[in-house]
Amino acid sequence: MPAKLWWMIRKDLLSEYRARRVWPAMLLLGILVALVFTLQMDLLPGQQRRIAGGLLWLAVFFAGIMALDRSFALEGEDGCGEGLLLYPVSPTLVYLAKLVVNVLALAVLELILIPVFIVLSGVPLWTHPGLLLLVAALGNLGIAAVGTPLSALATKIPRGTHLSALLIFPMVIPVVLAASEATRLIAEDDFGAEGWRWIQFLAAFAVVFVVAGIALFDFLVED
Amino acid sequence: MMPDATAAIEVRRLSKTLGRRTVLSGVDFQVAAGQSVALTGANGAGKTTLLRCLASILRPTAGLVRWFGRPAAGNPEGRRLIGWVAHESLLYPQLTLRENLAFAARMCDVAQPWQRADELLAGTGLTPHAARLPAAISRGMRQRLAVLRALVHSPRILLLDEPFSGLDAEGTAWLGQLLDELRAAGRTLCFATHDEAAVGRLADRVLEVRRGRVVEIEPGAANAADAAPGTWPAARAA
Repeated sequence: MPAKLWWMIRKDLLSEYRARRVWPAMLLLGILVALVFTLQMDLLPGQQRRIAGGLLWLAVFFAGIMALDRSFALEGEDGCGEGLLLYPVSPTLVYLAKLVVNVLALAVLELILIPVFIVLSGVPLWTHPGLLLLVAALGNLGIAAVGTPLSALATKIPRGTHLSALLIFPMVIPVVLAASEATRLIAEDDFGAEGWRWIQFLAAFAVVFVVAGIALFDFLVED
Repeated sequence: MMPDATAAIEVRRLSKTLGRRTVLSGVDFQVAAGQSVALTGANGAGKTTLLRCLASILRPTAGLVRWFGRPAAGNPEGRRLIGWVAHESLLYPQLTLRENLAFAARMCDVAQPWQRADELLAGTGLTPHAARLPAAISRGMRQRLAVLRALVHSPRILLLDEPFSGLDAEGTAWLGQLLDELRAAGRTLCFATHDEAAVGRLADRVLEVRRGRVVEIEPGAANAADAAPGTWPAARAA
């Protein structure tokens, strides 16, 4: 990993660790959403397994959007974003650093949310941990690949800091749907060929939007 | 006109429109290597916009900016040539002073960023505050650190936007002496200011931004002549 990439990732993680402004709220929101969803479900076990994937990924999205929304807020303080763009660093590295931090944020969210969801709902999501991790990893990458540049774009809009959720949501619907379906198949222990098609879709989505983010990021952040 | 590769800063037919307002129009000038140029003008005249175009923070609507013959736009590697001091401190609020400087040094490919940070802090007496966050130090100290951050990679061109604004007498003297030293060392300076004393003491040339255009005027030295040698008058608060 290029040293500058590591330094930018370290800077963001250290800042969040010391400020603790986003991640605790994100985790709390995720747990609350999971609680509401699971405690309100009064369904037969088969029906619960059918909808568990969708509920889980909705919880991940609503909570994760906090991290995505704020990923460039750090750079808005005291002109730091301006300073970052003035370094001899390619915009691609800046984008990749933010992407990695957002993927990590979503991963931390899921590390807590998935076990909570499993315990509260009783849905057997952990029977295929490798598949679940793969779906989570690709889903995180897809959501972050869309959310990172749109979050940067939202900072350019006057009073648009909180518009990123409106911008991101329609773009990540395919990811949320695909991850939900793949998770449903895991819960129903019926992954098979259909499940692998959803994995392929998630992988393709992630690749396309990471490449698009790299290509467009410079245009999104310049004045 | 052929581009002058020896010019530290070259501006050709630069225009910048922000929204519907044309802030700069047809700006042409060059700054030779080692020169010190002051940008003056009324509030809202376009000094900051011009400086931000020179720094490549803003992309010109038309025209171009070059640093030592290299285009400023779309040239991340070229940014090693410039240092930028803005109204804001550009310091990350959750990083200590030392971490902020080391981060800037690493981003600018300084070989030993932590050592460089320690050197800069020691040179300005900020070592005792190295482990503090920017919010825990005074405005004057933050301004010093902002300048140090801009100098961490020893840029050949230093762009400063009203650097004396809000500084007390001690801070003004420190900054003035630092800029004197940089100027003596052959660095190219371009700074926007309302401080006539700073203009008189520092500037080889004065460019006034007037209704979107740049006009060269004679450097006025009236205020500076009244100041005692080796001292800097207190800056007027912006």
